[in-house]
Amino acid sequence: MSPALTNRLMLLAALLLAAVYLFPLYWMYVTSLKTQSSIFAVPPEFLPGVPQWENYATIWEVANIPRFMWNSLVIAVGVTLITGLFGSGCAYVLARYRNGWIDAALFAVLMLQVLPPSLMVTPIFVGFSWAGLLDYPRFATVLAISAKTMPFFVILCRAAFMTVPRELEEAALVDGNSRAGAFFMIVLPLARNGLLISALLVFMQGFGEYVYSASIIADNRLQPASIGMTNYLQPNQVNWNAIMAFAATYVTPILAAFVLLQRQIVNGLTAGALK
Amino acid sequence: MRRALQSMRDGIGFDTMLVILALSYLFVFAGLPLIYNVVISFQTVDVFSLGTLLHPSAGAENYENIFDDRQAGTVLWNTIIFTLGSVAIQFTLGFALALFFHQNFTGATWIRGLFLAAWVMPGLVVGVLWNWLLSGDFGVINHVLESLGIIDQPVFWRSNPDTSLYSVMIANIWYGTPFNMILLAVGLSAIPEDLYEAAELDGANAFQRFWTITLPMMRATIGAVLALGVIFTLQQFDLFAAITQGGPAGSSTVAQYWSWELSFREFDFGRGAVISVLMIVVVLFVSLFYVRSTKAETQL
Repeated sequence: MSPALTNRLMLLAALLLAAVYLFPLYWMYVTSLKTQSSIFAVPPEFLPGVPQWENYATIWEVANIPRFMWNSLVIAVGVTLITGLFGSGCAYVLARYRNGWIDAALFAVLMLQVLPPSLMVTPIFVGFSWAGLLDYPRFATVLAISAKTMPFFVILCRAAFMTVPRELEEAALVDGNSRAGAFFMIVLPLARNGLLISALLVFMQGFGEYVYSASIIADNRLQPASIGMTNYLQPNQVNWNAIMAFAATYVTPILAAFVLLQRQIVNGLTAGALK
Repeated sequence: MRRALQSMRDGIGFDTMLVILALSYLFVFAGLPLIYNVVISFQTVDVFSLGTLLHPSAGAENYENIFDDRQAGTVLWNTIIFTLGSVAIQFTLGFALALFFHQNFTGATWIRGLFLAAWVMPGLVVGVLWNWLLSGDFGVINHVLESLGIIDQPVFWRSNPDTSLYSVMIANIWYGTPFNMILLAVGLSAIPEDLYEAAELDGANAFQRFWTITLPMMRATIGAVLALGVIFTLQQFDLFAAITQGGPAGSSTVAQYWSWELSFREFDFGRGAVISVLMIVVVLFVSLFYVRSTKAETQL
């Protein structure tokens, strides 16, 4: 076989694999645009008929999607702010020094990264209810999620800070900057891309979070879209076009961000997991 | 005071403060709950005693209740099957895909990137998608399996107690495979090309090269990926909530879901904490292994 032909065949096989793998996403969008009768057609209709855009309008109204999306957004922004404010400085110091204390701190952060939220939510809920935090459920949820995202963020950002050459910072100090000045004027701007991607990943986690929100937020006016979707799903198991329209509304912003920033996101995530 | 402020702005105080801020946050919202978890696992905590810091003591009663529970055996078995099954299959698929995309062909990196779209999606949405795909009467998976002649009649994946756990496992494998693939791909690209060239000159075939170069060189990565796989699978909750909710009749309940159910469905936080304590011990043990293997790889 000639190299050019092998190349073509490999490309074809790769595209086929990707198509099979991504079929669930295709199926989500196609189902969301079908009529009630064509979702239950046997055999299933793999190609969309006339797109039923009004499915989206209806479900937005019926399931209160704008309100749920707003709450998801509020939670995601809160989580990103708290995680970023507390986490970036810590990541920077962990990247700058090497000694026993730093190793111990890094070890603690790595270990905290693995705690399952579904297990941590029990003590957090009991503790929060004593502290009166359950009166501010969205804020309480943000606090709980941030404890989960912060270790992840610190590990990712540490990798970003390691790429900033130490000499630049030392030069700034020689030029009369304070440590704080050098950090804010030199190091932060240079590590900006890594920090932004890490923050975006934290934002996505906050936006899609389920366990803490489901356990802490009882008032449905404050619940995020993940809860809104399960609430709608339980009694409406036949309206799959509506459910898929809800799902599509929820994930399309995330998928769009992913498509735009694919390379950076992948680099960021792999840096965090293995370094 | 002025010297302390000066050090905050321009000395070791600045660095210390940055670390202390984050670590105190983590101590309050992760460290204290960890300790408190152990405390409440020895107490009777229900809706009536929720508002206080300490609750009536229960001795070892919560632990005895859990171990005597009829469900305990099923849950333990489900957790083991779900975790090992998911990790084994997604690792194998991930490794196969990583090796495939490691061949140099046009567009390899770009197409590989497409697989990661699944990975950024919220777990709950992935669960709802698979809930629909695996639907018994009108699910597209059943249709495909039937037209391929693999099954004769529809499988009621989610509502049949024999298959409910596997319906979540299938979704979890789909969700976790790209993560395995990309981490293994990173490991593969770190192996120096000339090792393969030398082996080829010595007459080693592709299979021998895989066994004698790829696998040994990837040992640290494989260890880390497997450990992370176990950790993430033990964190999986959203898929259960969206697909089976642990049912029917507890047939797809795993430990982390059971703990949550006891706390937030039966409002027995003491017993919920017992499972939480036991599972966290398991998770921390696995993550020690993970930290060790990343250390070996990158000289942390």
